[in-house]
Amino acid sequence: MDIGQILVNGLVLGALYACLAVGFSLVWGVLNVINMLHGSFIVLGGYLTFFAWHSFGIHPLVSLPFVALLLFGIGYLVQYLFVNKVVTAPVLTTLTLTFGLDMILYNIMTVFFSATPRRVTLDLGTLSFFGITMPVDRLFGMALALALTGLLYYVMRKSRIGRAIVAVRMDRAAATLMGIRVNHIYAITFGVGALMAGAAGAIFAMVFPITTNLTGMYIGKAFVVCVIGGLGSVPGALVGGLALGLIESISGHFFGPQHSLTVGFLVMLFILLVKPTGLVGKRGYE
Amino acid sequence: MAFQNSKESRCSTFGQRCNAGLLQGVGLAAAALALLVAAVPMAAAQETIRIGAPLALTGGLADEGMKQQLVYRMWAEKVNAAGGIEVNGRSHQVEIVEYDYQSDGPRAGQLAERLATRDRVHLIMAPFGSGHTVIAGTVGERYRVPTVACVAGAESVFSTGNRYLFGTISPNGNITETVVQYLVDSYPDLRRVAILGRDDVFPKSMAESTAESAKAAGLEVVYNALYSVGTMDHSSSMTSIRRAEPDWIYITGYSQDLILARRQMEDLGLTAPVVTMVTGPAMKEFTEGLGGLANGVTSSTWWHHSATYEGLGVWPTTASFYEDFLAASGGEDPDYVHGACGGALSMLEEVLPRAGSLDGEAIRDALAETSIETFYGPIDIGENGMNQARDLPIIQVQNGSVVVLYPEVIATGSLQILEE
Repeated sequence: MDIGQILVNGLVLGALYACLAVGFSLVWGVLNVINMLHGSFIVLGGYLTFFAWHSFGIHPLVSLPFVALLLFGIGYLVQYLFVNKVVTAPVLTTLTLTFGLDMILYNIMTVFFSATPRRVTLDLGTLSFFGITMPVDRLFGMALALALTGLLYYVMRKSRIGRAIVAVRMDRAAATLMGIRVNHIYAITFGVGALMAGAAGAIFAMVFPITTNLTGMYIGKAFVVCVIGGLGSVPGALVGGLALGLIESISGHFFGPQHSLTVGFLVMLFILLVKPTGLVGKRGYE
Repeated sequence: MAFQNSKESRCSTFGQRCNAGLLQGVGLAAAALALLVAAVPMAAAQETIRIGAPLALTGGLADEGMKQQLVYRMWAEKVNAAGGIEVNGRSHQVEIVEYDYQSDGPRAGQLAERLATRDRVHLIMAPFGSGHTVIAGTVGERYRVPTVACVAGAESVFSTGNRYLFGTISPNGNITETVVQYLVDSYPDLRRVAILGRDDVFPKSMAESTAESAKAAGLEVVYNALYSVGTMDHSSSMTSIRRAEPDWIYITGYSQDLILARRQMEDLGLTAPVVTMVTGPAMKEFTEGLGGLANGVTSSTWWHHSATYEGLGVWPTTASFYEDFLAASGGEDPDYVHGACGGALSMLEEVLPRAGSLDGEAIRDALAETSIETFYGPIDIGENGMNQARDLPIIQVQNGSVVVLYPEVIATGSLQILEE
């Protein structure tokens, strides 16, 4: 039953990867900004969830919406006050700006929270079926990640603000002519990206140890997911995340754990060569 | 003659009337004055032993860097209050010159260079970890400034022929042989071992060394793999280890890796009578991060505060260091990083008087011949510059606390086998 276990491991991990990357993908796709702050936003969300649980006994499920909303506010302000000033500049400029802001946030977190790994321990037990064992907290994290990703998809498709974001992504000039306040939509999009990062951090705090060391790793994963799945869309992040989770799990089992990351990057390179838009991406966002 | 020719040429160029004798006299007087002026601060500077410390005070290794900083400051304060260190018949105060290298290896190298060239330190205390120690050690060698590493355990760091690099942590091989022998003696049913190591300098070296020691002791290595730096999930490794049915699971890595691995072992129902994680239980963040799941995990370490070694200088016993540390840390227990760095500084209290000079070469030669007892344990510098001491502590988390299993003279408990 090893193969069943490996597939389930991969799917659970993949759902978490999708949740990690969806906000990053949205910001990149809509604003053409590679948000280097995204990894630190995830870690910040994780720390806030941990301290709410550890210091005040607030269950992560209760704190998650508040953490996500707080991150939305931070993201909105960062975009409005800083990124908006250079949003039309070449992508290298915005990348450098967010990289600088990331260094500041990263070091502030290290000073305030220290780099000691922390984790919310829920001890929900394990579930066994057909010889496959899965921890309930991971399954719970997967369900939450899929639900949040699905909710974002729904909001993007059905809500007025979501349609405005999609419109700006498709054609900025036309969206402006239609009366959409583009700068406001940019800030909202950046805020939504940070909100998803905060929510991912809250989920991750229940599954992985949270430490500032992980910010770069999260960014790396988000890049790979975006390239595999396709930029700027919720389905792209979902497909990319699930694909990367399965690739790492299967290759880790068959080629050894030290090669699992390498195989993931090789697949990314292959997709860049044969389908630069990603598996479900649209032309124009490669 | 060359000086005169040069002077004549300059006078004729500017069309001035030169009085060679006067100029020579003024020049000599100026030179003498300059030498005198320069000599005053130099003599004053030599009253202080300057020790450079590139520290990871921010960034991913900040916790470790701050541990080093705390001990360095404790030691300098204590030594200076006791009158300093006597070198060549004169007492010297010590000064720690600190820089934050932000957990960034290349920056550690740049700051080591600054310490050697601009700050003119007499010694450098290497940064945390084997990888960054190599970088700082290379700079030290270039400028002939002895570098002392208190937290670098990989033998490969010391096998590059760097004559100026010394380490107070013992080679991994000494640790792994001791652990294997102890476990074979304590748990005779031990047959099959699974090894999972982080693909990084020190953890990889420990994993490889354990595999060799296990094979040499007649154990069967049923799983032996490395995981990449940046691995966020150990599910596939744990699934493979579970199928291999080992009696002993040995995993190396840093705290966040080991917390995740231990958690995923539990999640996937993977158990074994003996579980060892390096350096896991030696770091308090491991036991804090895992809570009850840390119970039963064994580890090897270079030092534990319950040891009862006799030392020298400002910390004549392990207990005296422990007492000072508790006062400085507000009641937090020290771990091996604190102990190893304190031990390295204690060593300097013996080495510098013996060197008889603050010249880099003299200090280097004295370091190379070191064989002493400190509160941290014996320090016996070998040919490669590493401490060759053996019989290092083996520890286990029992009921949330760390107990020492070995060596027998400092043991505070016996091995508990985990239930399967």
